[in-house]
Amino acid sequence: MTETTMTFARPHSVRSRVVGLVVAAALIALFVHAWQDTQVSISALFSGFHNTVNLLQRAVPPSGSVLSDSIRASILTFDTALLGTAVAIVFSLLLVPFAARNISPHRLAYEGARLIIGVTRAIPDFVFALIFLVAVGLGPFSVVLAIAAHTVGVLGKLFSEAVEDMDMGPVDALRVAGASRTQVFVHAILPGIAATFTGLALYRLDTNVRSVLYLGAIGGGGLGFLLYDSLQLFQYQQATTELAVLLVLLLVVERASLLIRQRIL
Amino acid sequence: MWPGELTVVLGANGSGKSTFLRCVVRLIEADSGSIELCGVDLRSARGRSLREARRRAAMVFQQVLLVRRRSAIENVAYGALGELPFYRSFSARTFPDELAERAHASLARVGLAEFAWKRADTLSGGQAQRVAIARALCQRAQLVLADEPVASLDPRAAEEVLVLLAEIARVEGLAVLTVLHQPELAFRYADRLIGIVKGEIVFDAPPNTLDQERITALYEAAAA
Repeated sequence: MTETTMTFARPHSVRSRVVGLVVAAALIALFVHAWQDTQVSISALFSGFHNTVNLLQRAVPPSGSVLSDSIRASILTFDTALLGTAVAIVFSLLLVPFAARNISPHRLAYEGARLIIGVTRAIPDFVFALIFLVAVGLGPFSVVLAIAAHTVGVLGKLFSEAVEDMDMGPVDALRVAGASRTQVFVHAILPGIAATFTGLALYRLDTNVRSVLYLGAIGGGGLGFLLYDSLQLFQYQQATTELAVLLVLLLVVERASLLIRQRIL
Repeated sequence: MWPGELTVVLGANGSGKSTFLRCVVRLIEADSGSIELCGVDLRSARGRSLREARRRAAMVFQQVLLVRRRSAIENVAYGALGELPFYRSFSARTFPDELAERAHASLARVGLAEFAWKRADTLSGGQAQRVAIARALCQRAQLVLADEPVASLDPRAAEEVLVLLAEIARVEGLAVLTVLHQPELAFRYADRLIGIVKGEIVFDAPPNTLDQERITALYEAAAA
């Protein structure tokens, strides 16, 4: 044996050491810039703490006067997310046969479907909401459209990837028996991934309820709007009630979607 | 391939047996040569004509390829999807009554009548492979291709599947072509044996004209 020290560290070249230093310097510069850009201030953190305590004192006891309004608004928030997600499911299912590489009939169809998915997914629902607020006016309908538009991209991508990962055996078996593309999709692909699809859709519904909250604040209505309004008007006791209803809504939706997913997967 | 004949393809791993079968139904595109199925040139067939040509050949795979979350009877009926008009093929509920009868008859033919409503993923390996054969029967194919149909089965289930394939050939008058890794089974059931080494046919003869050495040579040639 020649004298080699047995260690787990790979031998470094000068070049790799230089690259390492440059990367480290760049990362440090990036964080320093971010620190300054966001005006991080330790003193504001301390005075903010004082303000927060003050706010909390003024936020109790919760106001009972807005309870029924909050519950009604939370149902509206859920309805908005539900409709938006449902519309997105329909449209993303229409895209899947083209956007999943392993079953797409033609390269152009694949690229086209992927483009739609890529664009709608890249544009945040917030931006869609700003557009639809102008197009169809203030109110929950514009949020339904915004949620639907963005979710088409998200679910389209998740659904297509699920199809790409699926076991193609039954698909080949039906193709070989002479089944058409549509027949193969209905009888071999959908049953194979129905459970996965439902799970993904429910997860997305859960996420969309949260999105509807902040889209409500910019004019979509629902619980997000009530909460934003109360805080703007310094009605902290009302805000506490609304927050409590909000937490219940989020917990119920998350719990329900989890339970259903566990049952079907 | 002739109706009523069970042909077994033998060869070592990687000799091109499965590729050959998959080329026949164009799951893989052949590089050269021609594939003729019941008078149709398969390599030039496209779209509808390819689907119609494929309906004449049914395939039984090494891993049983059933739609797992559907019942045995639905899986059998899927063999006939290619002949259904578009609007009747969306759900098993809209399948014609004639197809339901045929599917039940096919399932009974493979001895699984009482398993009709069991979900495919609850069947044993041997049962599932018999459902796949019933699917081929329901397809009313003229040629049945089986790619190592007994590879993952215990000896008894393997025997049952081969008896069934031989019966389909002799009683129903279908042409059956199967790839096997068990020469002893091949000798017992085949009407014709084809040996492949590295993609080339080295023998093609009835089993009684072949001896054990030719078979052994098949696997040694591949190892060399």
